[in-house]
Amino acid sequence: MAKHIAIVEDDPDQRANYRDAITMKGYDVAAYGSREEAMEGIEGQMPDLVILDIILGDEVDAGFQLCRELLTKSPSLPVIFLTERINEIDKISGLRLGAWDYLPKPISLDYLAERISSLLRINEVRSENPEEESPTARHIGELTLDQEALLASWKGERIDLSGTEFRMLAKLVRMPGHAVSYETLMNATMQSLVTNNTINTHMRNIRKKFEKVDGEFACIKSEYGFGYRWSE
Amino acid sequence: MSWFSNIRGPRIGTKLMLLGVTLLLIPLFSYRQLIEMERLLIQGQSHAQLLTAEGISTLFNGRDDLFNDLPVASEDFESLFAQPLESAVRLDGDVQDWGDEDSLRQALSFNSGDASGDGSFELLLGERGGQLYVWLNVTDPDVVFRNTEYLRLDRSDHVRLSFIQADGEDGNVSLVFQEIGVVTAYLMDAEWQFAAAGTPDNRFQGHIEPNDTGWSMEFRLPLDALGSRRYFGISVVDVDDDQTREIIHNVQTLPTAGKESFNLVVLRSPQVRNIIEGLGYSGARILVIDAQKRVRAETGTHLIANEENGATESVDTLGEWFDTVRPYIHEAVTGESWVPPRSRPEESGATADQAIDSSLTGDPIALRRSVGDTFEIIMAAHPIVSRDEVIGTVVVEQNIDEILSFQRSALEQVILLSIVSLFAVFIALLGFAGRLAWRIRNLRREASAAIDQHGRLRTSTLRNEIKAGDELGDLARSVSNMLSKLHQHNQFLENMPRTLRHEINNPLNTLSTSLQNLAEENPEVRDSKYLESAKRGVIRIGSIVQNLADAANLEEALEAEELEVVDIQQLLANYIANCQQANSDVGFVFRGTQHPVYAMVSDFRIEQLLDKIIDNAIDFHRADSPITVQLNTHRSYLQITVANRGPVFAIDAQKSLFDSMVSHRGPQNRLHFGLGLYVVRIIAEYHGGFVRAMNLTDGSGVAIVVQLPLADAPSNVSSSHAVAN
Repeated sequence: MAKHIAIVEDDPDQRANYRDAITMKGYDVAAYGSREEAMEGIEGQMPDLVILDIILGDEVDAGFQLCRELLTKSPSLPVIFLTERINEIDKISGLRLGAWDYLPKPISLDYLAERISSLLRINEVRSENPEEESPTARHIGELTLDQEALLASWKGERIDLSGTEFRMLAKLVRMPGHAVSYETLMNATMQSLVTNNTINTHMRNIRKKFEKVDGEFACIKSEYGFGYRWSE
Repeated sequence: MSWFSNIRGPRIGTKLMLLGVTLLLIPLFSYRQLIEMERLLIQGQSHAQLLTAEGISTLFNGRDDLFNDLPVASEDFESLFAQPLESAVRLDGDVQDWGDEDSLRQALSFNSGDASGDGSFELLLGERGGQLYVWLNVTDPDVVFRNTEYLRLDRSDHVRLSFIQADGEDGNVSLVFQEIGVVTAYLMDAEWQFAAAGTPDNRFQGHIEPNDTGWSMEFRLPLDALGSRRYFGISVVDVDDDQTREIIHNVQTLPTAGKESFNLVVLRSPQVRNIIEGLGYSGARILVIDAQKRVRAETGTHLIANEENGATESVDTLGEWFDTVRPYIHEAVTGESWVPPRSRPEESGATADQAIDSSLTGDPIALRRSVGDTFEIIMAAHPIVSRDEVIGTVVVEQNIDEILSFQRSALEQVILLSIVSLFAVFIALLGFAGRLAWRIRNLRREASAAIDQHGRLRTSTLRNEIKAGDELGDLARSVSNMLSKLHQHNQFLENMPRTLRHEINNPLNTLSTSLQNLAEENPEVRDSKYLESAKRGVIRIGSIVQNLADAANLEEALEAEELEVVDIQQLLANYIANCQQANSDVGFVFRGTQHPVYAMVSDFRIEQLLDKIIDNAIDFHRADSPITVQLNTHRSYLQITVANRGPVFAIDAQKSLFDSMVSHRGPQNRLHFGLGLYVVRIIAEYHGGFVRAMNLTDGSGVAIVVQLPLADAPSNVSSSHAVAN
């Protein structure tokens, strides 16, 4: 059975483009133009995944609001935000809405499709064995990364990372002790327009999430002028 | 003329002061006006006096009879002038009560011809209340009194009076004395030996008093006794030997022998006097003078009762001060040197005589002269005419001290008031100017503080002067208005990149997704180069918009950064090492310090700052020359210098280099928007430092210098995220 995906985007052209592209990938798509419309439509049939534009019409934070409302109904619902700004990334991280991933505009539909499929798969994996550690999990010192379930933990504690952050971290720890360039990290974000600052912002957010669990955490080192390095 | 355009006008205070100085014109004009007024008053007074003189003279016109009671030609007679006496005279032989010394000097001297002067005498005649007063001072060492044993009255010193009586008969009177004191008068026979009547004549009264040189005598007689013609003669008879009692000297006032044996007593004509008496008024003296320049009548005095004496003393200091400054004021105002009224050259009495002369020739005249040192008068003389002949003149003298003192007090008041008002106006202007300047300075300070050195608005309204009702308030309001409009505009500009990004991103996203869908739908165009270039274009626009928006949001984004203490030395060393790796074709030289250099920074913002500077240095450096990065520490700040050899900055470019959207790269660098060094400046300033660009002293290249404040060493150095080298 085809997965049901809901798209909320106020611009009709973009909405049509997303719908066409995602439909073409074999999903069952419902597209909405406003928050009210979306709430109404989703009320009837809970989708498997939601794609949200943050600004809907005149409501600047409509996407966040919608996300909050949906997550109260279905806490495990994967959400992908379509963002415009780095500070919105901060907001998504900061608000801890439980959003799973985000994609800045202009969007690459290939990346979008990839994210959708990976999120759906991860959700599946997580729902199958919610507590157990997956056999695919990889240990790097105190860090455990479960690529399949997109789960990371530090010293046994779960670190709640977004999809982008997880991919960057995975890239960083592939060869511990070796510096990873900005460019490599950019590729890992699976976004089309990335600057050093975007990487720095992500890295800062990842660091903060680790530090929240472990105040002494200092494994992510800056390699000024080049990139980052994981060293314990 | 460039220096001329550099001259700036004076400040407001100075301008107002200069305007205040124009108030000096008021006393200036007042002074001129007062001088003119004085002239007019005096002229009017002269004219009025001339008219008075003319009016009086018409009373006498044709009245020859009043003047002709005296022989017109007096060569036959020796005149004896009787002066009018101002006050009553006591008959005591003392001349003191006859008036001032001037009048005493008019005494006539008659000489006996004796070498010792024995028998000589002085004579004064006076007239008062219809009485003729005579004073004699005889030089006579041996006074011989009358001995009543002798019947003859010429056997002692005595005085003989000869005159023509009212009835036309000759009158002979001897004044004899038995002792010091009362003098007795007897009508005498023609030989002056015996008394004509047995009893003394009581009309004649007198007194004798001896003195050092002889004796003096005062006596009086009624004028009526002399008749209308007043032929009169006096002789002093001197007897020196008490025993023989012979007449030694008989000194006469009479003319020489053979002539009429009488003198003429010249008196003011009472009739003339009666006429003018009622015409006298305060401060004015009226004289009637006949053609022989004899004063025939006189009334009034030009002395003014000075009842203001007390009042004038109170203003004495002011008056004295006024007297000192008046010459300067006068000279400043009129350009003529000041001549005090008392010292004017035309004061001499000669002018009075000339005036009378002139008047007697038939020309009316009025002139101003001073009398002694005390006061000034205006003198007007008008001729009296009878049958086409001038028979006399009327002189009217008026004291003009009143006019002068009026002018003087008016002047004093004008000057005093001017000074007081000038002072007040100056104080007011000073206060006003000070306040105005203070307000303007405040406004200027606030207005210029509203915009910082990079032209960014700090505030959108002014607080000073906004409520003031005057033009300054208008100015403040309009400046405030301008600021708020500018603020709106600035906000629009600041928001524009964001709005723009939002507005561009959406259609761009449409474009991008449409292209992808297009390729998906039509596999045959998937590899078309046009599709590829279209995608590149989309990416390009996206990155442009992103860069612009990032730069615009930079300050806002920096606010969100968390600062931590970072070892800049380590950071730089790490950074340069990585730079060298990334750019193997460029040589980097790093001159760091031997010790850690701590600063409170956001490490990846410093990295961003270095990125921009190094990018710039790489772009402009001369091939084969290294890029030098140097770290120095000073007392309270650290300094990062990035220098490269290559083209130097133009002088005027150095200031604008760090402004937004300013690029000095030229047209071929389309991907640069002049944001790099702007980002450097914003980051440096956010960290409390600054950045400046300079040319190397040898002109071989440029250096960008960043200064950041130092921080204390962190307690836990290991918390640094940087890789330890």
